[in-house]
Amino acid sequence: MRKSKGRPFLEILAASIHEDFRFPILEVFAFLYAISTFAFLGLGGGFTSTLTPQNEEAATYQLVNIQMGTPLFIFLILIFKNVVYGFGSEFEKGTIQTLLSYPLKRRMILTAKLLSALGISLTMFLGIQFFALYIMAPQTISANLSTVLISYLASLSYPLFLTAILLLVAMKVRKGGLALVSGIVLYFALSIASGILTALSLTTGNSLSLRVLSILNPSLALQFHYNPLSSLIGETIWNPSFNEVLMYIASGYCLVIAAFSIAYYYFSRRLNI
Amino acid sequence: MPELIVAENLHKSYGKVVAVKGLNLKVDEGSIMGLIGPNGAGKTTTIKIILGLLRPDEGKVAVFGENPWDNPKIREKIGVIYEKAYFPSHHKVLDYLKRTCRIFGVPESRAREVLELVDLDAYEREIKGLSAGMLQKFAIAHALVHNPKLIIADEPASNLDPEARSSLLELILRLHKEEDVTFLISSHILPELSRVCDSVAIIDKGRVLASGRLVELFEKYSAKAIRITTDKPEAFAEELRKLSYVKRLSIDSKGVSLIAAEGTESNIYEDAPKIAKKISAVIMGIELGTASLEQLYYKVVREKG
Repeated sequence: MRKSKGRPFLEILAASIHEDFRFPILEVFAFLYAISTFAFLGLGGGFTSTLTPQNEEAATYQLVNIQMGTPLFIFLILIFKNVVYGFGSEFEKGTIQTLLSYPLKRRMILTAKLLSALGISLTMFLGIQFFALYIMAPQTISANLSTVLISYLASLSYPLFLTAILLLVAMKVRKGGLALVSGIVLYFALSIASGILTALSLTTGNSLSLRVLSILNPSLALQFHYNPLSSLIGETIWNPSFNEVLMYIASGYCLVIAAFSIAYYYFSRRLNI
Repeated sequence: MPELIVAENLHKSYGKVVAVKGLNLKVDEGSIMGLIGPNGAGKTTTIKIILGLLRPDEGKVAVFGENPWDNPKIREKIGVIYEKAYFPSHHKVLDYLKRTCRIFGVPESRAREVLELVDLDAYEREIKGLSAGMLQKFAIAHALVHNPKLIIADEPASNLDPEARSSLLELILRLHKEEDVTFLISSHILPELSRVCDSVAIIDKGRVLASGRLVELFEKYSAKAIRITTDKPEAFAEELRKLSYVKRLSIDSKGVSLIAAEGTESNIYEDAPKIAKKISAVIMGIELGTASLEQLYYKVVREKG
């Protein structure tokens, strides 16, 4: 029998996309992204009139930030569905054994699974977001592209970190449903802890906890960079410079890389199936 | 003959449960080796280590001379059939096999060939819609797609009806004869395994008690079976159980088969007529022959387990 070079990576990726986004999941989520993004479009005039940015950069940041809110939550739901539940179910149903019978390194199998579960979601999220931004404020966006990119980088660091942690959770518990519940509990526990620490800073005027939280979630540093006033005490509690914000974003992504590296190491070298 | 699988001193525990304890195993190229043992003996753990799914706590394993964990390339030469088939459920049968063809770089036409080979014609059905038997056939077809040189099968005949089991055994023999495929088959169904295996490894409590070519094992363990054909097998068996040298006994409608302690086989010629007289049974014949694989298995477990 004639044999040519196989393409296990592409085929495993295609099979994963087929499983993760079979009709109508992709369509439903694309619709939700679009609706939640473009809902802002209809209210655009109203928003711009209520915003009082001190400069154009801050206005761009606010535009991106407001527009990103709900879609980012939908992005998280998709992550929970595909990475946490989907990957956990691979172990539960045993399909991971079949994947590991193919001539492909474990890390490449994980990459294919993540490209499907995370890559498609991210592309869809960013694609619709940028498209909407250009429709809403083409000149502002073109003139402040770096602010737009920094805003997305800062906002996506925490969800990506969470993804890597939840990936590890899914590999550890090996059950789709249990991994999903663990992920949701972890997400809300972190959100509550973050909320308490932020409130503490805002009421006491001590910025230490904000600085610590910003390592995990650099969007907080960006938020205070553009809006340093505490609405609770009416004075500036933290005003990080742009370079500091970049440092927080860099440290946030260092955490993301570290968490994904641990997940890759665990899957490639330690995980017994 | 070169060895395709060499496992040396394998140890594997799950917490406090020891699954494999100093296991040694060699599978020669061109052989059909049966891995036999009771539930919990360590068969599946051994197979998983051989496939690179589990890392042993101690010891090493080489498949085609390579460590299976670090060298996924060797999987191009290995076909795997798991006891329970695990496939993404939303793919159609033929589509998934075509995808498997592309994974291994074989022509897509091979997908239909292997489905015909296992007599599965549900090409357009989703995998989740297959019955247990059909799913097992699909798993066998999936393992054959890339013409592997070694097939590792964990209970491949489970879920198959008698006809499909028989076809599977014929297929194994054909692949072995025509394409020189080496097999490592774990199974509980010893009579069927004995139809295809030329060598076995008897495994119990995580270690190999005996392994080698079947003829040599039968010879080494003097596994001789005595067959008594009688009109009252049940009553005969009851009396035979009272004899201290009778080690294992099985009954069917036409008589009794037994294994006697080594060197005591001839005693039966003296005792059987006495039993027949006692229970008023008629003995149609007493034969001394080679034991079945099942009898060999029990003899080895009793002696070395």
